[in-house]
Amino acid sequence: MKPENILEIKNLKVKFPVTGGLLLRKIAEVKAVDGVSLELKRGETLGLVGESGCGKSTIGKATINILRFSSPDVDITGEVWLKTDEGETDLLKLSRNEMRKHRGLIQMIFQDPYSSLNARMSVGQIIEEPLLYHTKMKKKERGDRVAWLLEKVGLQPEQSKRYPHEFSGGQRQRIGIARALSTNPKIIIADEPVSALDVSIQAQVINLLQELQSEFDLTLMFIAHDLSVVEHISSRIAVMYLGNIVELGPGSRIYHHPIHPYSKALLSAVPLPNPKLKNKEQTILKGDVPTPMNKPSGCGFRTRCPIAKPECANFTPVLEIKEPEHLAACPYVSA
Amino acid sequence: MSENNSNTEKTASVSILRKRWKKFKTIKRGYYSFLLILFLYILSFLLPLFIGRDALIVKYNGEYSFPIFKYYSAESFGQELQGEANYRLLKKQYQEEDKGNWVLLPLYPFGPNENLLDEMGGNPPHPPSAQHWCGTDDRGRDVFARLAHGFNIGLSFSIIVTLLTYVIGIAIGAILGFYGGKIDIFGLRLIEIWGTLPFLFVIIIISSIIQPNFLLLIFILTLFGWIGIVYYIRGEFYREKARDYVSAAVSMGAKNSKIIFSHILPNSLTPVISFAPFAIVANIFSLVSLDFLGFGLPPPTPSWGQLMQQGLSNIDNWWLIVTPLVAMFFTLLTIVFIGEAIREAFDPKIYSRLR
Repeated sequence: MKPENILEIKNLKVKFPVTGGLLLRKIAEVKAVDGVSLELKRGETLGLVGESGCGKSTIGKATINILRFSSPDVDITGEVWLKTDEGETDLLKLSRNEMRKHRGLIQMIFQDPYSSLNARMSVGQIIEEPLLYHTKMKKKERGDRVAWLLEKVGLQPEQSKRYPHEFSGGQRQRIGIARALSTNPKIIIADEPVSALDVSIQAQVINLLQELQSEFDLTLMFIAHDLSVVEHISSRIAVMYLGNIVELGPGSRIYHHPIHPYSKALLSAVPLPNPKLKNKEQTILKGDVPTPMNKPSGCGFRTRCPIAKPECANFTPVLEIKEPEHLAACPYVSA
Repeated sequence: MSENNSNTEKTASVSILRKRWKKFKTIKRGYYSFLLILFLYILSFLLPLFIGRDALIVKYNGEYSFPIFKYYSAESFGQELQGEANYRLLKKQYQEEDKGNWVLLPLYPFGPNENLLDEMGGNPPHPPSAQHWCGTDDRGRDVFARLAHGFNIGLSFSIIVTLLTYVIGIAIGAILGFYGGKIDIFGLRLIEIWGTLPFLFVIIIISSIIQPNFLLLIFILTLFGWIGIVYYIRGEFYREKARDYVSAAVSMGAKNSKIIFSHILPNSLTPVISFAPFAIVANIFSLVSLDFLGFGLPPPTPSWGQLMQQGLSNIDNWWLIVTPLVAMFFTLLTIVFIGEAIREAFDPKIYSRLR
């Protein structure tokens, strides 16, 4: 029997050191992700939402194990178990060489379609690059696969000779999706794939992702800061604040009945298309997100929480079950 | 999906490099300067065919000889001289004898290192004349021939130095920028220490011990020339490394060598490529200055700097200082025009790299 979870993140902590002084000693650290546990169920879409800087992209990059490349000093602890038919692997324990053979299974779509494609390579070269590393396909086969993928993402096969600068943002993002799909991955981490696009194009790209998900039997981790986008695509949503998950549950429950005060505030900030619907009560948060370099003690949200109590400074709330499948990290609220 | 149809017209797809080349061609001043310099430079390798002392073909007693490729003594052509044949005199001699022998001379039959005192008489330097377009220098050598040969030597020298400094600078800059961390910190400190060595004094010291030659000068200039390139490439690598397409390559499982050579490097060369013509100009200038100061190429190598130095010590003989200056002015100006056009062609404007 296949395991139900395809990916399990256990107590993931990511700390970036802040260096200073003459000898560049570590003087502080940024806790970008502060103890996050998540499961990705086979075939589902998990939405990860939160404000900028709350660590959602960091989770994605840590999962796919590319953080150590861009910031070699990063301190990553915890476990990321990839569970396939062949067995279970903790991706975080792997060296870059050992990780390489798993990369075909787990791919990423990047936020910025302009910087995520190498401008010196043609679209065909970009899409076939993963095939070079993970398959033994001949040139002809790779070309066929590229043409097929281009069609799958709604572009024309003849466009494989073109260069990224000849495409619009939405088209570029489709190229990014085709590249991520080229090796038939099981998991795709979509790091804000639509936030750099126009609203009309956003819908196209999201629908494309959904079509491809059922066709390729994909499991998606969909990272975004726009709750309405996430609600549309996700079966489950995790809401993050300052490196922690504050609420986790089924998409529609979170969207319509959030429990955690932060989720409520985040939802009330979603603009309503109908100006007559003003009766919705708005929660406007005071102040700014505290810096992850110097997080508040206890509950990270207490400095801005409308229902904060003095005790909140004394303990770190953990995710508690509030209703079936729906968890929130606050002891003072209930479903 | 209406947005997908916008790009389907059958226009030829162009890579960024091709696009820049096209844009470069539209900048006429730079493009024609480029063609001119390229033409002159290629031509300058065939210089002995046009400007030189050795005859191209000699017909003597029914036999053809090609002195341009081989040494012939004067006697072998029936000339009453010691040592090598003098083909200009030989031509006159054959014309007077009128025995069916003939000599085909280069268009401008004077060599760069040839002492013309025997034929010209008087005291060198000789002023320009119909025969010697730019006169002769203080040793009776033809200035025009020296200028032409000096062009080839100066440009070759400068191109070789530029290429070598680029290869070394790009390699070191790439290592520092890509690996970063301690390698970068210590590497940069070493480079800073190296950079404080006074270049001119090192050359003076070396040339007071041994006579510098072409290769040694290239070596010394390369030794000090790569430092600037390192800073450019290191910075570019730092910036490009942080961009998403590199993360994407890592997440695909690309090896470091692949990331460096096919991803980051092609995207980091823009500043150094647009800088290259100016580097060539600078290196021509370095060679001229070293020759001028007397620390350059060994005599009798034809060189512009050495001519200028003669001009300065014989200030009345204006052609000695004006001709090399004009030659240098036009060469450097053309190369600067090329550089300007390349910079313009590489200017991102719409598809900006620094968005």
